[in-house]
Amino acid sequence: MVPSSFSSILLALSTLQGPGTRLTYRIRVIEPGVVAPRVVATGSVSGPLDSDMRLTLRTDTAEVEALFQVTPVGDTVTLAGEFFMRRRVGRSRRGLPLWEEDNYRRIVRLTWNDTTRIYPFGVGKAAPRGLWVELLLEREFSGGAGRPAESFELSDSTRDFRMEAVVRPRRARVILNLVRADTVSAPRPMDLVPEEPPRTVQLVLLGRRTTLVVSLTRPEPPLSDRDRSLALDADVVCLRVAAPPADAPQSLGTICGRLNNVARQLALPTGDTLAATFSWPGWR
Amino acid sequence: MTVPGGAETAHEQWRVQIDAELDGELSLVERAALAKHLATCARCAGARASQLEVRVALARSAGNPHAFVVPRPSIRAGTLALWITVALVTGLLAGWAADRRWGGPGGGSTLEESRGTIVVQ
Repeated sequence: MVPSSFSSILLALSTLQGPGTRLTYRIRVIEPGVVAPRVVATGSVSGPLDSDMRLTLRTDTAEVEALFQVTPVGDTVTLAGEFFMRRRVGRSRRGLPLWEEDNYRRIVRLTWNDTTRIYPFGVGKAAPRGLWVELLLEREFSGGAGRPAESFELSDSTRDFRMEAVVRPRRARVILNLVRADTVSAPRPMDLVPEEPPRTVQLVLLGRRTTLVVSLTRPEPPLSDRDRSLALDADVVCLRVAAPPADAPQSLGTICGRLNNVARQLALPTGDTLAATFSWPGWR
Repeated sequence: MTVPGGAETAHEQWRVQIDAELDGELSLVERAALAKHLATCARCAGARASQLEVRVALARSAGNPHAFVVPRPSIRAGTLALWITVALVTGLLAGWAADRRWGGPGGGSTLEESRGTIVVQ
């Protein structure tokens, strides 16, 4: 009986480290009040186990962007935070604001369901109003659900906070529309995989056929330290659009974006506009 | 300047002031009061002109035709040193207060204090 219990525990643990595990970052942004601490914002980001979270906090004098990554090690987890900070340090002699930039990394080890407190502006006297972020890491079995989810609630709309799930997409659903004046073609949805060979697609608008060669690629590696440390290219895909023939296509342009259902446009030489909407693919 | 006593006594007092002025011993306030009086008193103004003529004649006979008849008020070294010290201390205090209030580039805390921290509860 004992070996079977032991093996079931092992099985459960291995399941929670496997691809069917879903990771959730729950955060609460808290600032100290006169009577009691006040929750300024709450939110959660979830996704597959390799999901990262990008957090942005801005005040008048400081701006912190951080990318949090989780590495499960047995029953513990290593939380790494890549911070990029801009602080206003004064004004130049000509009255323009002076900012300093700082880039650093923090790593802590904790057990699952531990609460960590992040002081994004530091703990020194210069920290704006002693604000902190409480982060709780959770994992659960998801049965293979791989698309990220984000929810965020801001109690004080004067604050500028943002959180995003950073998940490298393996596939993307792209919906193409051709637009001319106030006429739109029928949507043409496609499931594309990055770095796959180009595909030919035909769109019909007002009886005229437009043939395009499209392919999904990853964006160019970021050049700046900030973009690299915040992995700004990780959750972005680019749609390369070209004119046929497929074996020697002539480039018409590239549309890049996150998988967030926002239509992005590209003007075509024919006078039409190609609108591409990137989203996460449906359940399989 | 109000001088008690009769008019003659008052004029005597003003002559003493005129001597002191020509010796450069009057303060700015006293010189201003004397100038105001000289503008309205022809007798004292005449006495001052006579005093000046005597002093010029004495200076010329001493072989110094360009001598200052009315010596400049002397600035004492102690007073000068005191004012320089007061100015320096005021400047230093103002600089310290401005640094405490606004700080310079880099802020008042160390770099590590201004960086984000993760604390496990």
